[in-house]
Amino acid sequence: MPTDTKRIRGPEVSHSLSRFVCKPDTTSLPSDGARADGRSRDQVDVRPMFVRCGLVSQAKGSAYIEAGDTKLICCVYGPKETERKDETDMKCGRLFADMRFAPFACPERGPWIQGSQEKDLSLMVLESLQSAVCLHKYPRSQIDVNVMVLENSGSALAHAITCASLALADAGIEMYGLVLGCSIRQDGDSYLIDPTFLEECGGCQSSGENQGSLTVSFLPNLNQISGLQSDGEMAEGTLAAGVRACIEGCYKLYPVIQQALIKAVRGAGPLPIES
Amino acid sequence: MATVQLSEAEKVYVLHGIRDDLRVDGRSCEDYRHVEIETDVVSNTDGSAKVTLGHTAVLVGVKAEMAKPRPAAPEEGYLEFFVDCSANATPKFEGRGGEELGMELTNTLYRVFNNKHSVDLGSLCISPGEHCWLLYVDVLLLQCDGNLYDAISIGIKAALFNTRIPKVLISEGEEGGTEIELSDDPYDCVRLAVDNVPCMVTLCKVGPRYVVDATLQEKACSVASLIMAVTPAGTCTCMRKVGGGSLDPESVFEMTEAGKRVGKSLHGPLVALLSQEESLGKKRQKVGFLG
Repeated sequence: MPTDTKRIRGPEVSHSLSRFVCKPDTTSLPSDGARADGRSRDQVDVRPMFVRCGLVSQAKGSAYIEAGDTKLICCVYGPKETERKDETDMKCGRLFADMRFAPFACPERGPWIQGSQEKDLSLMVLESLQSAVCLHKYPRSQIDVNVMVLENSGSALAHAITCASLALADAGIEMYGLVLGCSIRQDGDSYLIDPTFLEECGGCQSSGENQGSLTVSFLPNLNQISGLQSDGEMAEGTLAAGVRACIEGCYKLYPVIQQALIKAVRGAGPLPIES
Repeated sequence: MATVQLSEAEKVYVLHGIRDDLRVDGRSCEDYRHVEIETDVVSNTDGSAKVTLGHTAVLVGVKAEMAKPRPAAPEEGYLEFFVDCSANATPKFEGRGGEELGMELTNTLYRVFNNKHSVDLGSLCISPGEHCWLLYVDVLLLQCDGNLYDAISIGIKAALFNTRIPKVLISEGEEGGTEIELSDDPYDCVRLAVDNVPCMVTLCKVGPRYVVDATLQEKACSVASLIMAVTPAGTCTCMRKVGGGSLDPESVFEMTEAGKRVGKSLHGPLVALLSQEESLGKKRQKVGFLG
């Protein structure tokens, strides 16, 4: 927030220490065998996940996800009356998604203002969720989804999608199904599922073939892909194999998310009987 | 995005046509509309191109400026993209109306060029850590009739093909620093290798099938489309799903295969056309914006 004079601002130009540190050898991810955290390559070996609903009492629904060191929190507000009255299509509700990184989330400090990368990620979250929410049940109203990445240790987008759909479910928004996100990082012939931050960054530096990353959001109960985003260079066959791996990863996460949701519903007590 | 209103009956008509592989304008599902390309249309740029695809018109200008290399890559130049949705294209873009779409297009372009092989960034370096070329790629939408992504990517490839960066000489200055000297000859230029610049293909899922180069009417019938950036070798540098709908995995695989096929076949004629235009030299009849 550049206009906030009360905030103590640092000098105009400052550099992160990481620029002076010898670069860890990210380009040479060990091409075979185990990954740095003990998981193996080419296997749908997602990081263990901790999930909980309903942490933020003010929000209609909220969820928290922790996978490895990636930590995210998501809040859902609404349905409430839409702020934008100019839209002609009032028969359907409108979904707004906003994804932000905390300034301290990444190794290098980020800005407070939402950058274009975060806007791009917000759009991806929105498009992934849009097809899953029964928006026609909420005419003339809007639903806000806010995702905050507290700590980014890779695959933030994939987990943000999962977290957001869980928060929507926790808020009692009618949906066709849960949306789960999963990402892979392609490194030559092998893939790394649910990559960590170091594994994610290594891709930009190496110049070999088939270096890229892919994020898929998937509705397991309907068998539908609601979001897809890839980056870097990949052959078409690799891409298809990557999508399959991501779908498999989503199926692995599905029971965990379901359990968390069931637990949240049980904890909330019996549903009030409507007359 | 500019949209058209379609009645249910019109939608059914479009849908049934596509099911039978015959679209409203007579094309089959994997056909492009008529494409016109003209390069070197704006004299103030280092490279420019105007592309019309059906009624979609896009103007791309490339301007080279000297900048300091990014600290993360001291031996490389870089590209900056900006897509401007002017109110000329549709009144909806007036004021800040086009900002959202412009941002989406710009971010996709960054993603498409976010790899080592699309553009040889090393050739844009003048002196490592000190000076490099920064190419501003500015895209202006003049008319919107669907399929913006494909038109923009063709325009960018043509404009980069047309780009001529002046040669500079680096010499030792008197006080030990380096001095940069611009070549006196305006024709003493460096060209950019554009062989690997990808083209984007948008596949619109309409009913059970998908179409390439959808018009606005067809886009109105579709809930989701897949965008792929394909290099001449057939590798995919970016893929994303746009639109609010979802796709079934099988159709995603089918569409990526078709996208690769269509994208690969796009490069040959495009490069041939560009070199043909260049070979005409000064004799070429300029068409400009009224053509």
